[in-house]
Amino acid sequence: MRISKTERTVNYVVLTVMAVIVLFPIGTFVAAALSPDRSGKPVGVGSFRWDNFSTAWTQAGFSRAMTVSLIIAVSVVIGQVVLALLGGYAFGVLGVAGEKVLFPVVLLGMMISMEAIIVPLYYQFRTLGMTNSLPGIILINLGMGVPFGIFWMRAAFRALPRATFESAELDGAGPLQMLRYLATPMVRPAIYTLILLSFMWTWNDYFLSLVFLHGANQTATVALGVFQGKYVTQINLMAAGGLIVAAPVLILYVIFQRKFISGMLAGAIKE
Amino acid sequence: MSSLARSTSARTEAGAPASVPGAAPSAPAVRRRSLRRRRRWVGLAFAALPLGIYGLVVLVPLVQSIQYSFYQWDGVSTPSWVGVQNYVTFLTDPVLRSTFSHVLVLIGFFALLPIALGLLSAALLTRGQQHGMAIYRWIFFLPQVMTTVVIALVFKRIYAPDGPLNQALRAVGLGSLARTWLGDFTWALPALGLIGTWVTFGFCMVLFISGTSAIAPELYEAARVDGAGPVREFFAITLPGLRGQLAIALTLTITAALRTFDLVWITTHGGPGTSTLTPAVALYKAAFQNPQVGLAAAIGVVMAVLCLAVALVITRVSERD
Repeated sequence: MRISKTERTVNYVVLTVMAVIVLFPIGTFVAAALSPDRSGKPVGVGSFRWDNFSTAWTQAGFSRAMTVSLIIAVSVVIGQVVLALLGGYAFGVLGVAGEKVLFPVVLLGMMISMEAIIVPLYYQFRTLGMTNSLPGIILINLGMGVPFGIFWMRAAFRALPRATFESAELDGAGPLQMLRYLATPMVRPAIYTLILLSFMWTWNDYFLSLVFLHGANQTATVALGVFQGKYVTQINLMAAGGLIVAAPVLILYVIFQRKFISGMLAGAIKE
Repeated sequence: MSSLARSTSARTEAGAPASVPGAAPSAPAVRRRSLRRRRRWVGLAFAALPLGIYGLVVLVPLVQSIQYSFYQWDGVSTPSWVGVQNYVTFLTDPVLRSTFSHVLVLIGFFALLPIALGLLSAALLTRGQQHGMAIYRWIFFLPQVMTTVVIALVFKRIYAPDGPLNQALRAVGLGSLARTWLGDFTWALPALGLIGTWVTFGFCMVLFISGTSAIAPELYEAARVDGAGPVREFFAITLPGLRGQLAIALTLTITAALRTFDLVWITTHGGPGTSTLTPAVALYKAAFQNPQVGLAAAIGVVMAVLCLAVALVITRVSERD
């Protein structure tokens, strides 16, 4: 469509104003993180205080918290991909006995909010001695992730040509072999997106970690919450701590931006 | 192989001769069909592990939530049955009931404002492909990938007594308006709401822009031939074409407003007083701080029902002609 030069200029002005609105708060936060001043007053490049990051790292106990977050996120990502492959392949390729009931029940899970289950989940896990344990929270994350995982991989498997599976079946390949050697390599792009989204969701979680993990098992997000409560007057350290916690996902977002954006758009359309 | 599958396939074989001879399925077709049926049981076996974990972690607690919500329990002693008392408390207690009006305010900021901004930008940008859109999209999605804890800290600083917002107000001579935004009974809730606007408007923009690019250009051409101006064009073509995206954006943002927790917990803990208390914060306090477990479960059940209702109503309305 042809548009006039003025219109094009107006479009850029609108987009740029919106972009500045998004970037400005983040910019002042980064400036605060680098400031030698406790109140986070922005300073010139020459007086940047890079050791704010190392100070925040030690004072907030991030070595431990970041490790905990990483262990949880990586375990959840691996587990979720396996569960999503199994479930997605079953619903998308093999068909599942009783799927007319089971599939809607799975989809329902994408609309169930965490708040609806957190109370009994906590007290049941307490009875089983599984609160404040990493396997416990990994299991919860996995269960909560199953609906989206199945939904996502099922769609990917269904997009594959059926003839591929039929000819492999005639060649005598079993369902597990077909999943491992034929189907999984073909849906690799969908798996990568699932890995990124799942990592982001798990890493960024606050509520679940706040409820289930304490003390030495605190995740990075919860540790940051505690840290900012203790260092109310040291804005520069608080900001540095915030950037440390945001960094892993931000780095992935810089590298895999297209996968993130297309994944989040497609993921939103799930409902 | 289960006996159920075997018996159904036996029934098909027995039923076959009864049909018209000419239409009887050929032997390979029967074999293929029974193969497919057997495959469905293999499929169930494959899905068993994910379904089992999902059932254990989500479905069982969901049912238990409903059960808990009819009891009064402090988390330690023996629970006692109180019927619908917890629901009555949630709906009649003045503090708890105020969480609903807070949610309504938040919906204005989380849903209506970003969607209006998103539509406006989509309307402006439909009329031609922009270069460099990828960079803008990257920026607009930035708040989506940041953990809410960090976003809360970013804005805690913006709203601080000597933060950038108050400094800006003082610089332009509006120093009398400067205040401790998040500590103000009137302004804390709108201030929190604006954070939600900041988080979601970029997402809505990208969603609507990608939606308008899927609308057939011929529709716009035709409208222009008919002499429609930008406003008519927006209401006649862009808005109806975006119905699906609107439904998605409304559902996601309204449920996000209803479920707000992290943002409030990090910044205000529901205060000052109870002026920013949301249902999720009330649930957390009731469940884990001052245990009234039954009440917390009831809040959770009501929230889940509301989320589900919002999703269903919006989908239904958007699909109606």
